[in-house]
Amino acid sequence: MEAGKINPGPPKWARKLLRLYCDPYQLEEVEGDLEEEFIYQCKKSSVWRAQLDYTRSVLGFIKPFSNKRKSSSPSLMLSNHFKISFRQLMKHKTFAFINIFGLTLGFLCFILLSLYIHDELSFDLFHKDSARIYRVLQHEKMEDGTLRDVATTAALVGPEVAAQFPEVEATMRISSIGRLTMGNDPTSRGYEVITITDPNFFSFFDFPLLAGNPKTALVHPDVIVVSESFARKYFGATDVLGKRIWTSVTRNDKPVEFTIAGVMKDFPKNSFLRFDVIFSDSSWPSMFPWYQDLISSDWVSNTYLTFVKLRDPATQQSIEPRITQLVKDHYPATRAFKSEFTLQPLADIHLNSDNIQDSDAAPNGMNPFYLYMFAGIGFLLLLIACLNYMNLSTAAALKRTREIGTRKTLGAQRLQLISQFITDSVVISLIALMLALIIIQIVMPMVNQFTDKDLSLLDLPLSWSLSIVGILLLGAVLSAFYPAFITARVSPAEALKKEIRIGNARLPLRKMLVVAQFTISIIMISSTLIIYEQLNYMRSKDIGIETENLLVIDINSGRLRRNFESIKAEFGSPAEVLSVSTSTRVPGEWKSFHMATVRAQGEPNGKEMIYVGIDNDFFKTYDIKLKEGRNFEAGRADSSKVILTELAVKELGLTNPIGQIIEIPTVRWGGSIEPLDEVFKAEVVGIAENFHFESLRTNMKPVIFVAPNTPVQRIDYYTLKIKTNDWPGVIEKLKAINTKIDADDPLEYTFLNSRFEEFYKADAQRGQIFMTFSLVVVLIACMGLFALVSYAVEARIKEIGIRKVLGASVNNIVGMISKEFLILVIIACMFAVPVAWFFMNKWLHDFAYRINLNAGIFIIAGLIIMTIAAITVWLRTIRAATVNPVKSLRSE
Amino acid sequence: MKRVSLGEFEEIVLLTVMLLEGNAYGVTILHQIIEQTGRSVRLNQVHASLQRLEEKGMIKSKMSAPTQERGGRRKRLFTVTFYGQKTLEEIQAVRAHLWGMISSVKNS
Repeated sequence: MEAGKINPGPPKWARKLLRLYCDPYQLEEVEGDLEEEFIYQCKKSSVWRAQLDYTRSVLGFIKPFSNKRKSSSPSLMLSNHFKISFRQLMKHKTFAFINIFGLTLGFLCFILLSLYIHDELSFDLFHKDSARIYRVLQHEKMEDGTLRDVATTAALVGPEVAAQFPEVEATMRISSIGRLTMGNDPTSRGYEVITITDPNFFSFFDFPLLAGNPKTALVHPDVIVVSESFARKYFGATDVLGKRIWTSVTRNDKPVEFTIAGVMKDFPKNSFLRFDVIFSDSSWPSMFPWYQDLISSDWVSNTYLTFVKLRDPATQQSIEPRITQLVKDHYPATRAFKSEFTLQPLADIHLNSDNIQDSDAAPNGMNPFYLYMFAGIGFLLLLIACLNYMNLSTAAALKRTREIGTRKTLGAQRLQLISQFITDSVVISLIALMLALIIIQIVMPMVNQFTDKDLSLLDLPLSWSLSIVGILLLGAVLSAFYPAFITARVSPAEALKKEIRIGNARLPLRKMLVVAQFTISIIMISSTLIIYEQLNYMRSKDIGIETENLLVIDINSGRLRRNFESIKAEFGSPAEVLSVSTSTRVPGEWKSFHMATVRAQGEPNGKEMIYVGIDNDFFKTYDIKLKEGRNFEAGRADSSKVILTELAVKELGLTNPIGQIIEIPTVRWGGSIEPLDEVFKAEVVGIAENFHFESLRTNMKPVIFVAPNTPVQRIDYYTLKIKTNDWPGVIEKLKAINTKIDADDPLEYTFLNSRFEEFYKADAQRGQIFMTFSLVVVLIACMGLFALVSYAVEARIKEIGIRKVLGASVNNIVGMISKEFLILVIIACMFAVPVAWFFMNKWLHDFAYRINLNAGIFIIAGLIIMTIAAITVWLRTIRAATVNPVKSLRSE
Repeated sequence: MKRVSLGEFEEIVLLTVMLLEGNAYGVTILHQIIEQTGRSVRLNQVHASLQRLEEKGMIKSKMSAPTQERGGRRKRLFTVTFYGQKTLEEIQAVRAHLWGMISSVKNS
């Protein structure tokens, strides 16, 4: 009995451990036995001995069989959970609807974004050798020290690399040498890009041929391989193997007819290469002598996209310097070699060709920044949907306290309660997932049209599908944990009482969740506003030229190019045409510019300028003002005169520019630099106002204008200034004129303003995407708010009744309840603004010309959200406030 | 159905329950076993055995009325079922039979 003095019990932790795992059904007897034995041991031997025994026994109980007896089988329990879940859904239809709808929207967007991102990441991976295929990049050091990255190389790089390096399995080249007119029916001819590839194209890549022999299809001269859509366009059928097609290229002054030697499937949309017709390489030397020169001796130009297939990707590093050395060894001695060659993995081309010239084979390329952005939006949406679910089910748990109390009284364990909540969330999220998948199937065609992709759920690899479903369900299950734990903690006695508060009443997590949701909403809304404002700014900014009512005609044939003065007169003949101008390039150009290196006389270093040949009417047509000097004039020998823009004058550092002589040592076009045989010296005769030749993403570049008949001059466009209300009529007239001049080649025209619009197409598209997702986010957030207000109102229905009896007006009551929630939105504003500011500032840095971020946008965004939130809250409170107090008070 | 077998320790527990007729619960069984067999046994083993026996239908149990000892916790009192008793008797008979044969072999 000495032990009784200290009176120590069995070790507390052991007892806790026992309670944790022991079946409650057995707990009482086990604990009783243990304690009895403990006391017995205390008396018989020592406390220490008793404690040791107790602990050992407790640990012994952990054996699985001692815990095996369950009150019921798990499957029975689970089916009960499902039953209860469905009953809950049926009972609280609004709640269920909001919950399912919110989750569906969140899932929908998440899956769509996953599809989009997967597609972007899957570019060019469908070739079985894609991991071994590289594109040769040339990095040339420019005069001013900058590197110029070019995706094209000289003609001989490919074949020589294949011949000399055993590590290289094969090489393959692609080049585009302009466009031609095709079609057997003169009334429905079209323009096609002349894409020439090496004969091994179809064995190098895995583009399937439907007809024709992939090994030999491109071997012979005057053959082409066409896509299915090409075949349908020109022949109305796809079995066109062996058919011949008229083209506008000539050999010995006769149009060449090409024979179709293969029909290929349309290229998948996740291929960065997209051709409709491929010409065999051997067709061209007999047509163009320069082509023969090119393929036999060119080590300098940038004409060919060169692809290399390595036997082992590990050799990439070691081969790069050897390619550089190879080209260096063959480079003409007269020219300085300042380049380095690297290999760009095929899979990188789509997402990482932003600043690479001549990479225009990848027009659908995308900055990875946007991929991250979309992934971010996807997870935000999922988060917001899950927060919504969490919030709603916590609120709903308020109403389920009786159920929970009853369950507890009847002996439900905490784990069972929690699993009930998790079953709820799994049921709801499975329903939402199914709905989301159905909706995706329905909207998929629209999405594909909008994004110009071939997205399909079936294309997702299993690993992606599983991860997506996993993430979605995990999100749902995690969001069930909070309400589950909070209710499982409540004591049954409390739970059975009618009035009960769950969780921390002062700062309920639910309120924080609403703040989080609205923070995200405001970020999205203000970002959308900023994107649209920037777009609007770019569209409406005065770029220094007229873009309205200007029609640009592409010159595609020699006939349209010769005697441009008389052709100008022809196009100018309709009364609607106010003026006609011809030029080598036009503003809004997307072909590559001629760039000239221009220097003031005697200066060693030149500046890069856009080099445009124009006629006398150019300034008039484009409404560009001359600041000083004169325009080019008819009848004067202006071939050694130039006009500069103000910016060009500034960059050259000329004071008193009129009459000064400037020098042009080189002119380059696209990737190719052509030093002029001798430095072109010209006199400045005029200064033109600054204007933007390109999109406002890039800084304004200086421009040098030269007169017609100056070196490196080939007019490519007529620009017509037209004033009419009957555009189709005018276009018919112009078509007739075109046919008169050139019966073989159809008129190809563009409206200048649509060209500028094209610059911002991608941004506009992203703006729309952002807008859509913002709406979704706001919608989900509002549904959450609505439901939350509903619960708050229901919990306070008596209070409202009493207040009304005591004389409160409807407005008082609406105000009282609204205030509480609108404060949350204001708090959300405070969190959202800095975040949105940060990200949008980053985005805007992409643009050389951009709006200034100011408080106004955020205030508008805040007000929009406030209004929407206020309407949401008001909709629900007004109903509660107008209810006859007798009803609400009698409900007891 | 598979014939239910009885482990050696289970047999002892079952016999002890029978011995303690009316007052057989964890601690008494434990003490009885220690006392009678001299084995070192712990409570959890006894409980596990009891559980198995109950599953096999050899014993049945009911909760006693709460008493002051054990902090008011009730005891689970075990009694041997008819089936349990019969099983024990069967075992006894088999062993007796075998012993009988052994002694007759030795004697002859």
